[in-house]
Amino acid sequence: MERKKLDIGLYGFTGCNGDQLVIVHSEDKLLDFFGAANIKSFSLAKSDNDESALDIAFIEGSIANREQAEHVKHIRERSRMLVAIGSCAVYGGIQSMHVKPSWEERFKKVYGNNKLDVRTPTPSLPVGEVVKVDFSLPGCPIDADQFFYVFGQLLRGQTPAMPDYPVCAECRWKENECLLLKGIFCVGPVTAGGCQAVCPSHNLPCLGCWGPVKEGNADSHIALLKEKGYSLEAIQNRMGMHAGAGIPESVKKLLGA
Amino acid sequence: MREILVEPLARVEGDGGITVRIDGDKIKEVSFNVLEGTRLVETLVVGKTPEEDVSIACRICAICTLSHRYAALRGLEKALGITKLPPKAQLMRTLMHMGEFVESNSLHVFVLALPDFLGFPSAIAMAGKYGNEVLKALALKKYGNKIMRLTSGRMIHGENPTIGGFGRYLDRTTLLELKKEAQEQIEFAELGVQLVGGIDIPSYFEKETVFMCCEPGDGEFGVMGDQIRISDGKTVPVEEYRSLTNELFSPHSAAKHCLYQGKPYTVGAIARLNNLGDRLKGRSLKLYEKYWNKRWLKNPVFNNLAQAIELVWCLETIPVLVDAILEIDEDPALVKPSRMDGEGVGAVEAPRGTLYHNYRLKDGLVAEANLIIPTGQSLEDIDKYLRIAVEELLKQKADDQKIRMQCEIIARAYDPCISCSTHMVRIERV
Repeated sequence: MERKKLDIGLYGFTGCNGDQLVIVHSEDKLLDFFGAANIKSFSLAKSDNDESALDIAFIEGSIANREQAEHVKHIRERSRMLVAIGSCAVYGGIQSMHVKPSWEERFKKVYGNNKLDVRTPTPSLPVGEVVKVDFSLPGCPIDADQFFYVFGQLLRGQTPAMPDYPVCAECRWKENECLLLKGIFCVGPVTAGGCQAVCPSHNLPCLGCWGPVKEGNADSHIALLKEKGYSLEAIQNRMGMHAGAGIPESVKKLLGA
Repeated sequence: MREILVEPLARVEGDGGITVRIDGDKIKEVSFNVLEGTRLVETLVVGKTPEEDVSIACRICAICTLSHRYAALRGLEKALGITKLPPKAQLMRTLMHMGEFVESNSLHVFVLALPDFLGFPSAIAMAGKYGNEVLKALALKKYGNKIMRLTSGRMIHGENPTIGGFGRYLDRTTLLELKKEAQEQIEFAELGVQLVGGIDIPSYFEKETVFMCCEPGDGEFGVMGDQIRISDGKTVPVEEYRSLTNELFSPHSAAKHCLYQGKPYTVGAIARLNNLGDRLKGRSLKLYEKYWNKRWLKNPVFNNLAQAIELVWCLETIPVLVDAILEIDEDPALVKPSRMDGEGVGAVEAPRGTLYHNYRLKDGLVAEANLIIPTGQSLEDIDKYLRIAVEELLKQKADDQKIRMQCEIIARAYDPCISCSTHMVRIERV
């Protein structure tokens, strides 16, 4: 018996659109993707969008103005399940980075005293701080294989299993030389795996773009980096760069956030 | 009062819209709106290292991620006193840039723009009647993505292109595969030009404008340079970009729009072909000679065709680049900075136009950043052409659907990249 196709919507809020593009870029799978479910709304790819009840809404991007907050609440109300995709939706992305001065002061620096209307900008928030999120898939951008795995599992009503190991595990599997041992500033030990340790595999350090790994030991990593001669400021900058609102408590303390 | 709102404008990258308000036979408002949330990227990179800046700045946009990375690298390297890269590193940068042009131009021409002209809501819906074309267009786009993935390390936001060169270079087998595939893809790219070139483009909204693009400086067609070429014949060093882009606050669309000597201007493939098209060679020159005419100086919708011709140019250029890379055996080490304080302006052509990254460094950290993106530069012209089109359509007594469709076609032809819009917030004119 053929099961009823689930109604799906994909939405982009504040960010680079990279997560939706990872899907659009999966040319071989794109027609199957459109065939496996009823893609009701996906405005990056099509113009005949239907904004009604959904089984699953996939949300990319952070929430950075009042109108977006209203919109995502409306999507939540009409969706059985809501999935945050990409580090902006999950952690708020680079635009949620803890930096000084305050958001208000920085906003004024960029836009001056000009009055803004219709859209009411607000500091960027992860989707989960505005509405209930049922499942999170981080990555900057998300990994295509991981997305289609998650998508397939959710269509079947299963809970996808996510990696609970750091980038270091994937780096070891690739038999890369450890960059930290060479004194290079790498945050792989405290960053969630899933990218296949792409940067260390190119002789470049992990910058933490998938956000923190569950139960990562940030304190021990901060101590290690200090021992290697990096300043507290440099450590704060690097560890706070991509994790947005998802930075570990000990880094938050360093940042005075 | 008639009101036509297109929100969101589908099949563009990012959150944008068009507002048309008509009172009787008078236009009250025509504007292309940028609805994207603000990210204040220029303030996020202050205090960061050059490497961190590159990682943050490329995330402005997923389509032009490598153009942002390239512009950031050029600006930062100038500031760091790195004036010249080893030939292999420079060739690899050009190759990665070509990958982005193939990806972005093919995505825009075939997946985002073409459905309008053939009467479909999406490329997927087009697949029924134009199955072969859609599959081949997707294969071409995939090839561009492949170059981006291989050169940068990942499909989007790869970190491999870094300050002073690349973390890792491509092996011989991979390079030869890329060369072979370019030679296989060129036939479809030429067919694509014919397909797009065969579309009738209405002329009622035509008007002269100014075009700007990077001047490669070597007499060849190209998409990077240290000078800017303007269609009025002037050439200006990129360091003087502020005199060209004159950002201003615009009450009706709220983006910081750009004006050149008080006039709107257009950037992108159409600007490059209008300014430099006679420098093309081989197959792309033949196509340029066949399709270019003086209407291109007045009608932005020819941008789709210009992008299609650039695709052929890219596929002709890639094998030449690969051969040149293969002649150099040794992978160069990263070039080290010669100073920690300085300023630099990096300009490259993103697929949708000239992109500037200006940085000032102090003690090796970013002290100040100013980024000017292509879509912001074309915004005044987008509004101008939308207004002319609506004025003319009102004279023709066109219905809302026709007005909406024409406005979408004009805005979409610019291949607007709204995520890129670092300086944009919408204010609606009432």
